[in-house]
Amino acid sequence: MSTQGFVVETSGLTKSFGDRMAVANVDLQVPRGAAFGYLGPNGAGKTTLIRMLLGLTQATAGTMRLLGRPVPEERAAALARVGAIVEEPRFHAHLTGRENLTIVAAAREREAHGRIDGALARVGLSQRADERVKRYSLGMRQRLGVARSLLADPELLILDEPTNGLDPAGIHEFRDMIRGFVTEGRTVLLSSHLLDEVEKICDEVAIVDQGKVVAHGPIAELAAGAKQTILIATSDDEQALGIFSEHRAVASVAAESAGIRVTLGEDVGQAADDLSRRLVHAGLAIRRFEPARVSLEQRFLEITSRLEEAA
Amino acid sequence: MSTTTVTAELSARRTRVPRRPRLVSAEFLKLRRRRGLVGAGLALTVLPMVVAYTILLIIHAANPAKHGPAGGLQNFTDSMDVLTTLSGIAAVLIGTTLGASDLSSGVFRELVVTGRSRLALFGARLPAGLAFLWAFVGAGFAATATASVAFAGSLHAPGAALLVETAAWLALVTALSLVLALGVSSVLGSRGTTIGIVIGWQIVAAPLLLQIKTLGSLREGLLGAAIEGVEPGALFTGPAHVAMSITAAVGVIVAWTVVPLAVGAWRTATRDA
Repeated sequence: MSTQGFVVETSGLTKSFGDRMAVANVDLQVPRGAAFGYLGPNGAGKTTLIRMLLGLTQATAGTMRLLGRPVPEERAAALARVGAIVEEPRFHAHLTGRENLTIVAAAREREAHGRIDGALARVGLSQRADERVKRYSLGMRQRLGVARSLLADPELLILDEPTNGLDPAGIHEFRDMIRGFVTEGRTVLLSSHLLDEVEKICDEVAIVDQGKVVAHGPIAELAAGAKQTILIATSDDEQALGIFSEHRAVASVAAESAGIRVTLGEDVGQAADDLSRRLVHAGLAIRRFEPARVSLEQRFLEITSRLEEAA
Repeated sequence: MSTTTVTAELSARRTRVPRRPRLVSAEFLKLRRRRGLVGAGLALTVLPMVVAYTILLIIHAANPAKHGPAGGLQNFTDSMDVLTTLSGIAAVLIGTTLGASDLSSGVFRELVVTGRSRLALFGARLPAGLAFLWAFVGAGFAATATASVAFAGSLHAPGAALLVETAAWLALVTALSLVLALGVSSVLGSRGTTIGIVIGWQIVAAPLLLQIKTLGSLREGLLGAAIEGVEPGALFTGPAHVAMSITAAVGVIVAWTVVPLAVGAWRTATRDA
């Protein structure tokens, strides 16, 4: 993919606070036109990386490009087409929603002012736009934050933990909104510690832990890199358990209500064939033999537990 | 004249109308929508003058033999003393709001991510603050000047030249207070702390230092000394605390303008948002 294919590129990006490295030598590439998840536990350095990209804090080392432009050198031109919500969106509580957007529109290109009504309508706040923000609920503030980020007519939306504090209906609505942005051709960089959220919204993901990117790629590919697990049910699960326990390719085996969960450690294809042959040879009827769906959560836990073991 | 000509002329006239920069308008909007600040501005400028002259009118009407007319030069200079002090406090309140409200509300971060230069964001605060402040100070001064002339009766009323000179001086003094408060609050990021520091400095510390003769020519660096140097003669009746030339006074005033703005701009440009 060419350089024009990435909306965010970082190389060796580092941010230190004294001896502590919040972001450690991060190389990241976010492809254009996708919903990209930046996933990691709290304190992993997600917000710090976003703050560096947006010029809110200076990097200690490394380089960054936003929409193909080097930052901070061409920060103004790059950010002209970037909308962002960093942590909780903040407003002047004594002003109305519309006035808050007017203030930010004044800092953007002249056309931004003409986008205010459309942005408010897009997030469903047209009817409440002339109320003071201090009367808004958290969900309304989040939506107003999205409306504010749309004033840039953004090619890239950077959303840092955007569903924090939202109720389930609000989260669902937010997911639909983000997928809508991607459908329009915008890129969404979504930072979150919620695995389920990232898996449901994003096409690609980078997993970050302790300031480092530990995995990076399409969600399906990342999940495929996990250990293969097969769900098996037979006419005699007790006998089957004995067969699996003796097989050298089986890493672990666990009996469940719906059958047996077998995790293979190596040579997945041949091991699965061999297991089925042994069951047949033992005279057992096979009622179920299917690969278990591997979730991003499982992959995430595998990666982070491996890191903990290495440490 | 054809319709086309009229339209073209109207269009050209519209484009000649100077438009307030959008960032300045935005800063002005933030200020004028603060009810408390608007109330404080009125209470510190227009209201005391209206109350004072109303009382003077009433006591004069009640006992003209004992109490002279409400207007006249003496009442004007006395009122200007009060108005200058209270307007200075209003300037500090407005200046600290300008410098700290974006930071304390978290909106500064939202403005920075637009990519707009931080210096441009800072630069818009001063004209907006002056426009807002001078609206109140101007109204307070207008009330004072009108009353001192209209109700002068048999007394000597302030002349047009003195009124103009005093208005300019009041505008300067209040602008300097606003600049100082804006600069300090942009550095500290806290409105309350800045109000305490700046008002404490202006009302307590600086006048005390001005009184300490052993400080000698060091006192020339104080803003109060420089302001005395350019104060209209009719208003300033006592002896000067520090004798300094107009050039030196102007130099000190320029320094007290440039340094707070420069430090505030530097901090705005370099702070983590």
